[in-house]
Amino acid sequence: MNKFKVQSSKFKVFMFCVLCSMFCVLVFALSSHALTPEEIVKKSQEAFFYPAKDFKARVMMKLIAKGGQERIRELTMLRKNYGASGGEQKYFMYFFQPADVKDMTFMVHKYPAKDDDRWLFVPAINMVRRIAAQDKSSSFVGSDFTYEDVSGRDIEDDAHSIIREEKVGVRDCYVIKSAPKAQDVDYSYKLSWIDKGNFLPIKEEFYDKKGERYKIFSADEIKDIKGFPTITKRSMKNLQSGHMTETVFVKADYNISIDDSLFSERFLKAPPKKWTE
Amino acid sequence: MKRFSLVEFSVEHPRLIVILSIIITLAFMTQFPKITTDTNPKHMLPETSEVRVWNDEVDRTFGLYEDMIVVGVANEKGIVNPGTLEKIKRITDEIIKIKGVASRDVNSFPTITNVTAEKGTLRVAPLMTNAPKNEGELEDFRKNLFDNPLFLNRIISKDGKNTAIYVPLEKGSNGKEIADRIREIIKLESLRAGKLSTEKYYVAGDPVARDTFGAEMFKLMGIFSPISGMIMLIASYIMFRSLFLSISIMIPAMIIIIWSMGLLIGMGFPIHIMSSMSPVFLMAIATDSIHIFNEFYFRYREKGDKKAAIIETMKVVRSPLIYTDITTAVGFGSLMLANIIPVKVFGFGVGFGTIALLLLSFSIVPALLTFIKVDKIERIIAREDISTSRTSIFLRKLGSVGAYRPKTTVTIGLILFVFAVIGITKIVVNNNMVEWFKENSEVRVADREINNALGGTSLGYMVAISREDDFIKKPDAMRYIEGLQRHIEKLRIVGKTFSVADYVKRINRVLHDDDPKYDVVPDTKEAVGQYLFLFSMSAKPSDLDNVVDPSFKKANIWVQLKTWDAGAMGEVIKAADEYKKSNPISLELKPAGIAYFNLVWNHEVLWDMVKGFIFALVAVFIILIFNFRSFKWALVSYVPLVFTVLLIYGVIGLSGKRFDMPISVLSSLSLGMAVDFAIHFVSRFRQHLSEKLEVRSEKLEDAKNLVTRHSSLVTESLLWTAARPGKGIMRNAVLFAASFAVMMFAPLTPYITVGAFIVSMMLLSAIMTIIYIPALITLMQGWLFKEGG
Repeated sequence: MNKFKVQSSKFKVFMFCVLCSMFCVLVFALSSHALTPEEIVKKSQEAFFYPAKDFKARVMMKLIAKGGQERIRELTMLRKNYGASGGEQKYFMYFFQPADVKDMTFMVHKYPAKDDDRWLFVPAINMVRRIAAQDKSSSFVGSDFTYEDVSGRDIEDDAHSIIREEKVGVRDCYVIKSAPKAQDVDYSYKLSWIDKGNFLPIKEEFYDKKGERYKIFSADEIKDIKGFPTITKRSMKNLQSGHMTETVFVKADYNISIDDSLFSERFLKAPPKKWTE
Repeated sequence: MKRFSLVEFSVEHPRLIVILSIIITLAFMTQFPKITTDTNPKHMLPETSEVRVWNDEVDRTFGLYEDMIVVGVANEKGIVNPGTLEKIKRITDEIIKIKGVASRDVNSFPTITNVTAEKGTLRVAPLMTNAPKNEGELEDFRKNLFDNPLFLNRIISKDGKNTAIYVPLEKGSNGKEIADRIREIIKLESLRAGKLSTEKYYVAGDPVARDTFGAEMFKLMGIFSPISGMIMLIASYIMFRSLFLSISIMIPAMIIIIWSMGLLIGMGFPIHIMSSMSPVFLMAIATDSIHIFNEFYFRYREKGDKKAAIIETMKVVRSPLIYTDITTAVGFGSLMLANIIPVKVFGFGVGFGTIALLLLSFSIVPALLTFIKVDKIERIIAREDISTSRTSIFLRKLGSVGAYRPKTTVTIGLILFVFAVIGITKIVVNNNMVEWFKENSEVRVADREINNALGGTSLGYMVAISREDDFIKKPDAMRYIEGLQRHIEKLRIVGKTFSVADYVKRINRVLHDDDPKYDVVPDTKEAVGQYLFLFSMSAKPSDLDNVVDPSFKKANIWVQLKTWDAGAMGEVIKAADEYKKSNPISLELKPAGIAYFNLVWNHEVLWDMVKGFIFALVAVFIILIFNFRSFKWALVSYVPLVFTVLLIYGVIGLSGKRFDMPISVLSSLSLGMAVDFAIHFVSRFRQHLSEKLEVRSEKLEDAKNLVTRHSSLVTESLLWTAARPGKGIMRNAVLFAASFAVMMFAPLTPYITVGAFIVSMMLLSAIMTIIYIPALITLMQGWLFKEGG
């Protein structure tokens, strides 16, 4: 009877120690690995919109109407970061196609928490015009992508939350819900499936103000370029209009030391071949 | 072996017949819950019809919506004031949230794309992101709104007192639910403003009209058909003073209505404007059985035995009943030649009902007669004496007009005929579906207000087609389109046009610091291409998609018409052809859109009518020849009928009332229905004459000579026919007319015209039969009785 009691108390001590250590492991695991939704989104922006110092790509866009008719946009896109992720960026675009817009150039200076500056060069009348950047969710060159889809959105503009974690194909993903705080965009919220490994968005779903899913982004091909995982094929499909845009990076490169001078009105009219080709 | 007789069987086993009828009727009734309606005017023509295939292609190519609701906003004090603009903003925001609305393409102040230049900056953006609050913002807004020619007459009226919110609907969405929700939103907005509200709102557009239409259709079937049944019941009660008899007339009517509606529904046909009228038509057609009751009264008096009287009656009315029902069925059957689907279905349904009626006339009607109480008949027939009944005396007098003064009667007829022909040449074919609604109905008011203030609610397209990619970007093509617009706009009925050229001109001007000098198409293809590219960088995708195809091979010119008259698009096409002739360029112009559909459909209606009418004309005549086994007698009974139809159409022509689908459908029907009276009259006349002749021929050998010599016998027989079967004819006509008279109080004009038409048709053809057949027979008796007879 007594002996049993001793054994029993020893057992209690043992169990207590086991539980304590398990708890400690758990706390440690949570504290070191758990990311807040904001951190996930920040990391995702870094990986998606801000990798390296600068970036150049030859972009082919196919705008496909519901009936199957296609319009082509072919351009060279150059980007340079000024500051850390979420900071200022400059974009320069040179158009090859459609044929009648060849030599057209487009420049965007993007600032955090401030409207972009945009300029456009219209070769037919040899004129550079500033373009008002009114609507962040307006279409990018007539495609299903918006300017925000191309260059990102301020993290503080949305309320982010982790909905769940799930696999997309073989990739483990966070599912993040981002709901705009102001009524400044077409959608009421967005769900993003963010790869836990490279933090690139694998899939995004946009829900309209009626709560219906209406736009789907999908990363169709991811390649490693100079150590940066890069989405080289992507598509955006509008479920309501049936319109769809496929974008392919034919060539892409990082850290190519783009001159600051390129991002000026002067070069809009006559960009150096070196950068546009 | 005795031949089976349905009549005898029915008289012997009346209960069995009644039970059988009830079972079959219940079987047809089980189909009723499957009822659906179709009020889409596009479904008038089959999906494979050229115009629908082409219109669908155009819709696809240019990303156009099939359905659009237009919300008109009017303010006597002007739209541009903070209060009204705030309301428009709120209403638009709410509309965008409605399920089924194609939110991305709603066009209204807060959403429509505007192209402006501000301090050297080009701006392609929605016109009014937020409602202006102070005078400065208001001034800017006013300038933006009125300076852009693309907006004028589209979203703002010249006087600034009207605007519109264009609400396209996703395919397959419920137009009625959306329209109701919009009305709620508007109501809430009006309530919020209270008495201070100076805005007026109008909800218009195809989906609204269609749903109103559907509701009215159910009203016709659910309220007006029963009322017309009640009126028939009351009218027949007044005629026969027997509730039992009146109900006996109604029973076959009810049965054939249930059978044919059950059949149509069971076969999966939705109820359409035409088939919604079937119950009233069937009810009226069923009044045919009145001839049985009419004759039964007289026979019973003569025989005194109920069953014998029934069988005797059926023997006498057999042939006219069969032929009248067949001619009616042929009249409706001729509608199946039509290209217009609802007309086909209607013809099929009512034709089926008529044949069913024929069957019932020989089964359930005699069966019902056996249930009648003998003492009751005796009381009733006391009044049914052709020598004392006031109606009979009147009819006899009517008949004697023709019989005693045949030449005068025919001469008057010929004069009327000339007028009728003049009238018919003046007939204008036009279907205007908005005018199917009454003058002060919500649909008409909304349509009128929006048409008066803005560019017009009826939409047509002119599609310019080239063979070459990017052809539309050529300045020549652009200028051609622009010129075409100006040319079409000269037409009084055109309220507004717009095209890709308008965008190009607008951008050219805005890029050049809003200099009016640059409000033109630029000189190079590159400039056009780059302007449009620039535009597409910021505008809604649909802005460009709606006016040009992705390969720039085709351009779509929108033509807003101020009227739904089918001919309006015809004028536009004519103007476009003129323009094409004087400005040759390798662009083909093809019309499209709902306005064009209406034009094509209108044309089909005309040809369907001509086709159906000729078919009915020939078929009825052939049946008449068969019926009388004589060409001459067929001709005699045919003339008053055709005369009546011509007369009515002549009056329509002279009155200036336009010929629409329901009226043209009636043309072939009326032949089949109105000929019934002539058949009854002539058959009964010949029967009576030969009965009388038999009596005499026992004494005299050559009866025919006697007839010619003693035409007084013919005259006497004619007057007898006018008084006795004539009473049946008048009763039939009055009952028929009574049931249709109800439709004159219906809420939709097609119902009213059909009602008025049938009422006048029936009464006139009954009178014409009683006056003109005696006149013709008297005049032509030498020829008619010469041989055979």
